[in-house]
Amino acid sequence: MKVSVVRGGGFAGLVTTTTADTASLDPGDAEALRAKVGRVDLTAPPPAERGAGPADVPAYKVTVEDDGRVQELRVSESGLTPALRDLISYVGSVPGHEERVE
Amino acid sequence: MCCFIAPPDLLDAVLESGNEDEQAAARRTRQAAETARAQRVSVTGALRQLALTIADVAPAPGRVRTVYDAGNRGYYALPGRRVRGEGDPAVPDEAVNDAYDGSGLTYDFYREVFGRDSIDGRGLEIVSSVHYERDHDNAAWTGFQMIYGDGSGRVFRKGALTKAIDVIGHELTHGVTQFTAQLVYSKQSGALNESFSDVFGSLVKQYSRGQSAEEADWLIGEGILGTALQGVALRSMKAPGTAWTTAAGGGDRQPAHMRDYVDLPDDGDPANDNGGVHINSGIPNHAFYLAATAMGGNAWERAGRIWYVTLTERLRARSDFREAAEATVAVAGELFGADGTEHKCVRDAWRQVGVLDG
Ligand SMILES: [Zn+2]
Repeated sequence: MKVSVVRGGGFAGLVTTTTADTASLDPGDAEALRAKVGRVDLTAPPPAERGAGPADVPAYKVTVEDDGRVQELRVSESGLTPALRDLISYVGSVPGHEERVE
Repeated sequence: MCCFIAPPDLLDAVLESGNEDEQAAARRTRQAAETARAQRVSVTGALRQLALTIADVAPAPGRVRTVYDAGNRGYYALPGRRVRGEGDPAVPDEAVNDAYDGSGLTYDFYREVFGRDSIDGRGLEIVSSVHYERDHDNAAWTGFQMIYGDGSGRVFRKGALTKAIDVIGHELTHGVTQFTAQLVYSKQSGALNESFSDVFGSLVKQYSRGQSAEEADWLIGEGILGTALQGVALRSMKAPGTAWTTAAGGGDRQPAHMRDYVDLPDDGDPANDNGGVHINSGIPNHAFYLAATAMGGNAWERAGRIWYVTLTERLRARSDFREAAEATVAVAGELFGADGTEHKCVRDAWRQVGVLDG
């Protein structure tokens, strides 16, 4: 299973992509990643269109690839559920994850 | 100071299609707005002759800052624990004091330079939360308050976001835009929203340091970059697209001219940045830089005033670059005289970035 998180739209306008692949994680970490993905509802509706209020609030795209099946979720930071927030922070910190800043 | 809620295009619509009473009301509203504007210009002009600002003759009624500690928690936990209110002494937490001081400098800038009482013009409490999330590389305006991450050290230096007063001025100005032009955060209107935040963020820094347009660095977030980014700052209004690079070959993608406009879709994909709002803001940013440096002197006095009146009284939610350009040219003529230096400098600036023809 491979999980990638694209973050953009913050104050800097930077696009950060973090990826964690169970194939390159320690077995315990790989199991933790699978468990965290299992707690996220990947079919949640996309965020409502933004008006003129909030600015520089990041948006996220979370992609989960598993056995050829790809699921994608887009969400604004203001709409992060605790489970999603936990998954995103894990993908960005687990030993063996990759990060790219553009 | 009064505030006109009805946007100009609503007044236009009523003048065109309303009944007699409605048309008369719309005309009165427009006249009142124009009278108030003329009075404001003459009052600030008179004060300037006496070498005074509005702050010397009237106390700051609405400088009410409150700083919270988000405790490394997320959006759901905002604002967090209240740690410092207006007039309270400094606390041991440096980030709290930095957010308090930076929002004070921004409040004072708007109050002293434009006579504006806080974000909404009516003394709205300025709320900041620091230590948002853990090692978080961002600062934002939620629509209600400012939030500041501590920085990871890779993208932003730890603690840098609350030390950069142009970053604080940038975020607070998003609030000013929310209460005035309400520029929709998408494509060109969103890039204008971003640009006004950079313009006034930079002016807060210049004003607080007493720097003229020639002396200013015209950078946004000077010195805040972490180890993953090489460069001087996050954005450059003087030379958009040159502020930073990454080892992997990425870098600042801001254009300085319409021919390099990056036409991204606003499709909810975070990589597309609401249609490039933080990218294409380079074009109006550079126009302001060109206008302000061509006029010379303190940028907040003439170029800043033209941009402020445009933002707060002329633009509408879906205004694009051309509308903003035409509005600033018109305002320059009204405030400082048709075919005066300011009028010419503003028109030339928008031509140089390819937004106006000629
Ligand atoms: Zn912004």
